Amino acid sequence: MISLKPRSILLISAIFRVGLILFGEWQDTHVEVRYTDVDYLVFSDAASLMASGQSPYKRTTYRYSPLLAFLLIPNSFTSRCWGKFLFSASDLFVGLFIRIILKQRKVPDDLCTYSMLIWLFNPFTFTIGTRGNCEPIVCAMILWIIICLNNGNVVQAAFWYGLIVHFRIYPIIYALPIIIFLDPCFFRSGTKPLLSDWTSDQGKARQINSELTDKCVVSDALKSTFTRSRILFGLISGTVFLLCTGFFFRLYGWEFLHEALLYHLTRTDPRHNFSIYFYHIYLNYERELSVLEKLISFLPQFIVQLVLILCFAKDLVFCFFVQTVAFVAFNKVITAQYFVWFFCLLPLILPWSNMKLKWKGLCCILLWMGAQTHWLLWGYLLEFKGKNVFLQLWMASLLFLAANTFILIVLIRHHNYGPVFRQHTDLKTTKTT
Amino acid sequence: MSSHPQLRLQIGAASIPKLPAHLCEVIVIQRLPLGVFADPFELQNPHKHKAFRDIAVFGDTNLELPSFQSNRSAVEFHIDAGSNILFMQNNGTEFNLLLPLHARYQPLDESGYSVVEIGEPDMLMRCSVEGKQHKQSCLFMSPPNEKAKSTSATVAWKIPAGMKAHAGFVSVITFVTALLSTLSIVYASMFWSGTKVSKT
Repeated sequence: MISLKPRSILLISAIFRVGLILFGEWQDTHVEVRYTDVDYLVFSDAASLMASGQSPYKRTTYRYSPLLAFLLIPNSFTSRCWGKFLFSASDLFVGLFIRIILKQRKVPDDLCTYSMLIWLFNPFTFTIGTRGNCEPIVCAMILWIIICLNNGNVVQAAFWYGLIVHFRIYPIIYALPIIIFLDPCFFRSGTKPLLSDWTSDQGKARQINSELTDKCVVSDALKSTFTRSRILFGLISGTVFLLCTGFFFRLYGWEFLHEALLYHLTRTDPRHNFSIYFYHIYLNYERELSVLEKLISFLPQFIVQLVLILCFAKDLVFCFFVQTVAFVAFNKVITAQYFVWFFCLLPLILPWSNMKLKWKGLCCILLWMGAQTHWLLWGYLLEFKGKNVFLQLWMASLLFLAANTFILIVLIRHHNYGPVFRQHTDLKTTKTT
Repeated sequence: MSSHPQLRLQIGAASIPKLPAHLCEVIVIQRLPLGVFADPFELQNPHKHKAFRDIAVFGDTNLELPSFQSNRSAVEFHIDAGSNILFMQNNGTEFNLLLPLHARYQPLDESGYSVVEIGEPDMLMRCSVEGKQHKQSCLFMSPPNEKAKSTSATVAWKIPAGMKAHAGFVSVITFVTALLSTLSIVYASMFWSGTKVSKT
C-alpha cells in the first residue's frame, strides 16, 4: 500500500522534471545526440517569428495553431526552456486532474495514488514534456473537460472543447460521445448530474445499465435529441472553434488554414512509421490513389469509431480511451507522441478494470512494448544501417496493429462498464442472475 | 550506409590561394542531387558549426518530400580564411568539412536500392580589396584540380528503395489486416459492452 500524499507525489514529480530539463540543456550542449525534441526547435523558431511580428508559418514544418507559438513567445526573451517548463507543468496538471476525476467518483485513495503514479512516473510521459513536446497541454485540457462534464458544467466544457479542437484536431472524435453523454436523463436544467460511485459500479454495472437503458431510450429518443445541454455544448464549442480559426485566418491567411488544419486532415506520409498503411502509401505514392482506395482505407477507422461510440458513450472516459487507442492504431500516420493521447486516459479506466497486473496486465504491457521494440529494430536497420527491410518493417507494423487490437479487446473484456451518471429518482436495484 | 551519413569534404590546402587571410573568406559549394538533402536547421547548430561565418542551403529545402517530388539543392559554407579550422586538420595539408546529409525516399526500384551520386564541391575565395575609392570584393575561382577529376571524386550512395513487386500483395494484406482488426473490435465491443437488455 502506497502512503505517499498527492502533494508529495506532485512535488517529487516537479523536482524530477526540472532536473530532466536541466539535464536536457546540458546534453544538448555537450553531446552529439540532442535530448530536446526536434519539434521544440520548430515551436521556438515559430514563436520568435511571431514575437518579431511575422507569421509563424514562415518556419517550415510548423503545423500547429498560432496559439502554441504565442505560448512560447517568452522563449525569445526569458529562457529558451520556458516552453519545456510550461509543458512539464501541464504534465503535472494531468496528474492532478487524474486524481480529481477519480475522487469525483469516490475511488479509494490508494487506487487514486497508483493512477497518479502511472502517469507521473511513466518514462514515456515524463520525457515527453521535458523534451519539449506540447502534447501534455492537450492531455490536460481533455481531462479538464471531463472534470467540467462530471460537474455538470456544460458551458465551460464546451469552451475548452472548442479550443482544444482548434489546437489539435484529433479531439473532434470525442464530439459525438459527448453529445450522447449529455443525456437528458442526467443533465437537467438547474440540477447537477449525479455521479455513480466507484464502489457501486463493481459487479452491478451491466444490470443497472440495462434498466436505465430500458427506461430512458424509448420515451426520450425522439424528443430528447436536441436538448438544452446538447444545443448549448454544440453552439459554444462550435463558436469558440470558429472564432479562433477565423481570427487566425484573418492574421495569417490560407497558410494558417493549410498548415494547421487541412494538412492534418489530408496527411499521408510515405515515410516509415508505425502505421500499417505506410508501405502501401509509399508503393503507390507516384500515382493518384482512386476514390475507392481512399474510402477503403478510411472505412475501418470510421466503423470502429462509430461502434465504440455507440457501445461506450455513457461511460465517457472509457469511451474516450478506446476511441483514442483505435484512432491512433488505424491512423495513416502513427508517431510515438500520439501514444500520449491515450496514456493520459489509461489511469482513469484502470480502477474499473478487473484485469490483474499479474499476469494479464504485465502480458499486455510486454506485448505492446515488444511489438513496438520489434518495429523499432527493423526501423533501425533501415534508417541507420541502410538495409532494405521495408517488407519486414511493414510486417512489424501489422504485428503492432494486431497487438493494439488484442490489448484493446482484452481491456474491453475486463472493463466494468457502467454509465458515469445515475438518475436522480431512486432505482430499485435488480438482482443479478 | 545509414540514411543520415556525414559527407566529408576534403579540401587540400594547396587549393587555397595565398592571399591575406584577414580580408578573405573561403566559400565551399556542395551541390546535392535529387534524393538527398541537408537540413538547414541542423546546420545552424552552434555546437557543431560555430567555426563557420555562414552556412546556407539553397534550392529544395522541403525536408519531407520523397525524391520524385523534390528538386536539387546546394549547401554553401563560408569560412574565414584565417580561421583555425583551415589549418587544424591532419598535418595542415588539407582540411575536412563534415556535412550531415539525409536520404529522401527514393523512387521504386526492382533491385531494392537506388544509387545517388554526389560530385565534388566547388571552392571559391572572396576577398575584400582596399581600392582607391572604395572596398571592392573580388572572387577567385580555384583552378580545377586535374588529379581530383576522377570517378573517386564522386561519392556513390546506395539508398534502400521500395520494390514495385511488393505493391500488389502489400495493399491487399494491409486492407485485409485492417478489416480483420475492425471486425474483432466491433465484435468485442458489441459482445462485452453490457448493452444487452436483460429481462427481469
